[in-house]
Amino acid sequence: MLENIGLFFSYFWEIRAQVAELTLQHLWLSLAGVLLGTLTAVPLGIFISRRPKISSFVIDLAGALYTIPSLAILGFMLPFLGLGWLPTITALTIYSWLPVLRNTCTGIVNVDPAAKEAALGMGATSNQLLFRVELPMAFPVIMAGIRTVAVLTVGITTMGALVAAGGLGSLIFTGISMMDNRMILAGTIPVSALAVALDQLLGFLENKAGVWTGVRS
Amino acid sequence: MVEAIEVELQSVSKFYGEDKVVDAVSLHVNQGEIFVLIGPSGCGKTTTLKMINQLIPHTSGRILVRGKDVTELDPVELRRSIGYVIQYIGLLPHLTIRDNITFVLQLKKYNKKMQRERAMELIETVGLPVSYLDRHPRELSGGQQQRVGVARALAADPEILLMDEPFGAVDPITREQLQLELLRLQETIKKTIIFVTHDMQEAFKVGDRIGIMRGGRLVTIGTAMDIVRERDEFIRNFIGQGAIFSALDTIPAARAIIDDLPIVQEGAALDDDVLSLTGDWENIFIVDGQRRCLGYISLSEIKGQRKIDREKVTACPPPCRPGDSLKKVIEEMLWGNRAWLPVVSEEGYFLGIVSFQSCASLLVG
Repeated sequence: MLENIGLFFSYFWEIRAQVAELTLQHLWLSLAGVLLGTLTAVPLGIFISRRPKISSFVIDLAGALYTIPSLAILGFMLPFLGLGWLPTITALTIYSWLPVLRNTCTGIVNVDPAAKEAALGMGATSNQLLFRVELPMAFPVIMAGIRTVAVLTVGITTMGALVAAGGLGSLIFTGISMMDNRMILAGTIPVSALAVALDQLLGFLENKAGVWTGVRS
Repeated sequence: MVEAIEVELQSVSKFYGEDKVVDAVSLHVNQGEIFVLIGPSGCGKTTTLKMINQLIPHTSGRILVRGKDVTELDPVELRRSIGYVIQYIGLLPHLTIRDNITFVLQLKKYNKKMQRERAMELIETVGLPVSYLDRHPRELSGGQQQRVGVARALAADPEILLMDEPFGAVDPITREQLQLELLRLQETIKKTIIFVTHDMQEAFKVGDRIGIMRGGRLVTIGTAMDIVRERDEFIRNFIGQGAIFSALDTIPAARAIIDDLPIVQEGAALDDDVLSLTGDWENIFIVDGQRRCLGYISLSEIKGQRKIDREKVTACPPPCRPGDSLKKVIEEMLWGNRAWLPVVSEEGYFLGIVSFQSCASLLVG
């Protein structure tokens, strides 16, 4: 057992340059997916939070997309977007939608009605209500959605290797086809580490922003 | 004296579909008065209040604020010119107390220096320490939070304040304290306040005039005394039992004075005019040259004599002032086991007496 661990580490050390390169590649694919997903889903979430009649429909739609297996999405996009980073990032964006959309919408809808009524009663415009009351108060819930997405995305990015987008998935899938456990582990461990690191980073940023907006003291 | 009307509702109604929530309500609120809207839940009092700052638009009728029809005003500007205090307080939890108090000023984009000064001023107005400005709402008790809610409503120095069950969410002791503080504050700020509550005691305590609502209609409007004299069964039931003591708390003894009493000056002889005033009253009061009450003597002691025997004059019970509340006077009578108390002015003049009987007949009307 100990011998095996030793063997793994010496192998890992041998291919460290490759692992580092793939990790960076993996990271930027994931970040791009999370960022694009957030930038599209937060405004959409705000939009549907104002329209209760369509909000559940839109969230169900995002939910339906969420349930499609990642392999199927990548395969489906192949004729349109081809191979490489483009279909991968597109797929990651689609997977980001549900958690961010739902948390943004429910976060805003569940803001204490007394706070909203007080703000409106004091003469806040709808923009002032959104930026001074609703978004700051929903911020922790929206951040929770984004953090969920970040962890999830780092995992799904692995599939990008199947459409030649690179990333740590390359090591894992090559390892599987060569039945080389060392190689699978050399891809898997950095994926997990990346997911945990990204979650922690976002948590740290959330706290900083929370102090700044006054949500946390 | 003609009082300026700050807020006027002319046959205002609110429909939700077929449902008449507010039905042809007409009222006016004078400058500097506290007008209380009261009624059982679902009577439309809160809806009426929210139509004034157009948080709820009315279906028909006219609402005038400082003489202007609210539908012709920009709703945002209208609301910024009216202070608003709500039951659930609604402080913004992510902002400090300072930023909560100056929220309207931020919306109006006042400069920071002015905002800071105003926050300092207001936190003292509502009786909280300046150090609280840097705290967050969750660090304050319910009563303290509502004080901040009142300070926030006063930030832009509005002429009109709307208060929607402002003390409904705090414990009874704090509520009473806040009511007294509001009255004390009102002495100096002299705002026009429209105050919604379902607590009759609170209405009697804070209201200059009270409007009772039922099923969307305004049933009656009047002072505490007008209200307790109402014969209507719904109103009687609604006032309930203990509330009459709160009404008595707002009525001054001056209203229940009996002043057509047989009074003679010390040393003077009793004449028929004085004796004719006795009626069922069997005491004659003796005053000195400055109209200070020296005491009284009962008719049975006089026994037809024209001269009053100083020996037989009884000293009066401890007097009350015309400004004392009837509640206080009645309490004094109960504690002292007296049927009546003399009323004496600040200068010491004997004005008459207040008795259980005169209090009762005042309320019967």
